[in-house]
Amino acid sequence: MKTVVYTCPFVPAEWIAAHGLRPSRIVPSPPAGAAEEVPSVGFCPYARALVRHLCGEPGAEAAVFTTVCDQMRRGAEIVQRRSSLPVFLMHVPTTWQTSAARGLYLSELRRLGRFLVDLGGVAPSEARLTDTIRRFDAARGALRKALGLVSARRFAELAAEFHRVGEPRFTPPTPQPMPLGVPVAVVGGPLLFQHFDFFDMVERAGGRVALDATACGERALPAPVDRRRLARDPLGAVVEAYFDNIPDAFRRPNSALYEWLRGKCAERGVRGILFLHYVWCDTWHAEAQRVKESSDVPALRIEATDSPAADGPTASAIQSLLEAIR
Amino acid sequence: MIQGPRRIALEEWDARYSELRRAGMVEPPYGGPLRRHVEDGDVRLLKLWFDDSAAALRLWNFLLTEEDRLRQARALGRRLVGAMKDLGVVPVMAYSSPRLTAFYPDGAWWIPCMMELGAGLLRLAAALGLDESFCPVRAVLGAFLTGAHFPIPDLLTCSVGATCDDFSAVAQRLNGLGYPILWWEIPARRKPDPGEPAVDLPGGFSAPRDQVAFVGGELERVRSALEALAGEPLNEERLSKGIREANRVRRRLARLRRLAYAADPCPLPALEMLIAEMLAIHFCSDREETVAVLDILLEEVGKRVQARVGALPSKAVRVFWVNPVADLRAMNLLEDCGARLCGTDFMFGHALDLIPEQAPPMEALARMARADPMVGSAADRADRVCAEMRAFGAEALVVSRIPGASHCATEGRLIAEIVEERLGVPTVEIEVPPVCDALTPNLRTRLEALVEAVRARRGK
Repeated sequence: MKTVVYTCPFVPAEWIAAHGLRPSRIVPSPPAGAAEEVPSVGFCPYARALVRHLCGEPGAEAAVFTTVCDQMRRGAEIVQRRSSLPVFLMHVPTTWQTSAARGLYLSELRRLGRFLVDLGGVAPSEARLTDTIRRFDAARGALRKALGLVSARRFAELAAEFHRVGEPRFTPPTPQPMPLGVPVAVVGGPLLFQHFDFFDMVERAGGRVALDATACGERALPAPVDRRRLARDPLGAVVEAYFDNIPDAFRRPNSALYEWLRGKCAERGVRGILFLHYVWCDTWHAEAQRVKESSDVPALRIEATDSPAADGPTASAIQSLLEAIR
Repeated sequence: MIQGPRRIALEEWDARYSELRRAGMVEPPYGGPLRRHVEDGDVRLLKLWFDDSAAALRLWNFLLTEEDRLRQARALGRRLVGAMKDLGVVPVMAYSSPRLTAFYPDGAWWIPCMMELGAGLLRLAAALGLDESFCPVRAVLGAFLTGAHFPIPDLLTCSVGATCDDFSAVAQRLNGLGYPILWWEIPARRKPDPGEPAVDLPGGFSAPRDQVAFVGGELERVRSALEALAGEPLNEERLSKGIREANRVRRRLARLRRLAYAADPCPLPALEMLIAEMLAIHFCSDREETVAVLDILLEEVGKRVQARVGALPSKAVRVFWVNPVADLRAMNLLEDCGARLCGTDFMFGHALDLIPEQAPPMEALARMARADPMVGSAADRADRVCAEMRAFGAEALVVSRIPGASHCATEGRLIAEIVEERLGVPTVEIEVPPVCDALTPNLRTRLEALVEAVRARRGK
């Protein structure tokens, strides 16, 4: 079965799977060593890692990029130029308050479908699509139930593996003793594997990640599919679950992100926020100060690079945050 | 007969101004000596070299008095539209109503340069969380907060989607501070799929018909907002007239570019050409006067071309320039190194192309918006760059990066690669901060190396 890789949470795995291809939402793992063919200055480390991953040995037959960030849009072009991998660039509308924006997302899904057929996939019947959506939705429901059973890091790892494998099944994990500590939210965009270490750093400093609002956590999971909608309009149900419900910083306006954060932070009793963004990631970086201003609890901004997370100053800053809110 | 046009410094402009006045120069109401703008805080003018013509003086005065014009428009009861991340689409619509004046708040990105950081706009932006890792366009935030550089518009529009993340972030920050914004979506331009209905766009691109229709729908939302603001309909007749008027500006700019970029010696320096081209974006808040300013420039350049005189030495190295510069002095520097401008892509090629006059106006505007070089691929942009370089006989390419800009990290190298492959000319990528004095030796070295490379090729 051919594999289609992507990183963006707005790409529906079930749509790719329904075409008979394997969806694989990856955390980029670029090859070690220098990569002169990919710019480093000014290029977000996450987008750069993805481009390098795909220009190396991607382990896939195609890639899907989206336009949720300018650098990813432009990264798609680098991959097209530097490798032979078929690349699909999907426009995910930034605006969301009009039916035209939803319609554009839907039409982009249909266009993605044609790309998948060109790759060797088969356009799904309505019954097949409905069944695939239902199975992925059930698996995601099981994944969601793991929230609170395991630590935030473990959940992020399980979610990453679930997305990478791209099959509609999830085996619930054995519950772990949950860390006791001050509840903290981690907020930001996508993370590279080495930056999962931030979760550990919070715990070591006496905290507990009660809310993972990065793209690796629950924030970026699509909403449960509306079963009645699914029965009469399966692809519309996908649009609703993804486009209408994933809050993100790139949306204009991005008020839904703040509403979601406010609700979740209150629900989890969050007492501090760790705001992570990559250097050169304008979309998330620009929200750091707004999150601080709009939050009732202290927020610490950490700028990540493509180096490992664990460095002295960062650990010390996290320690200070936890000491302040303990 | 024109005697030796040349570039002069601001100190020389005082004497030159008196000379022109004595010779009977007639100025518009916003005219006057350039030095007064220095007294208003535009101290960068002291470090620039200017063309010494009355036409250039009028161009500069027109540019540097925009704020006065906006305040005057408001005093006259016109409603102000801030068209953000919009290089030439919404202004064409807004100027179709006599009750509206549109401007480009993003133009505040040049304030840190003009005031040599004295206005503190970048510091204000940093205090709002947008530091030096963002494009200097973050100065817009400071300009809104201080209200000292333009009146706060009655309506703010902002295109989003396939736009740079920097400005999208700036606009969202502005929105979060309580400024309402009408967001309109501009999807990434793509090539039509085989068999997919397509539309030809200005500038030689094509796009799927559905994409053009979608943008048309977005512009209809903008039209409704403009109508509500103006209190009158922006009907087809008005829009068609607005398009024809915009094309009057664009035709003049096309003629000016053909003359200025093709002739040898170079009849008009790079800095004045940059400013003249910028007029296409929003007519510097006065569409009629833009036409007048361009007419006078055209007349001057036409005379120089005919007389075979120029502001720069003959046989200067012919350079095509990609991206606007955060520091205007960089354009002088190019000429100081023995080169001259010979074509540009200042990110708004679509604002220079004629808007189709035969199509229904909203469709024509949507096509123009789709032709925006920044919503397509770097390869598309490179196609257009190559075509212009061939047309103007450019011998080298400069890609000027804007510090922190999301598109600049990757596009420059791709454009340069494609140009090298197709045209075999030398290229260089530089980065120009808002005040480039500290980097001048480095920039000079890189530009001189490019010039030498071209001269060596000429000798072969």
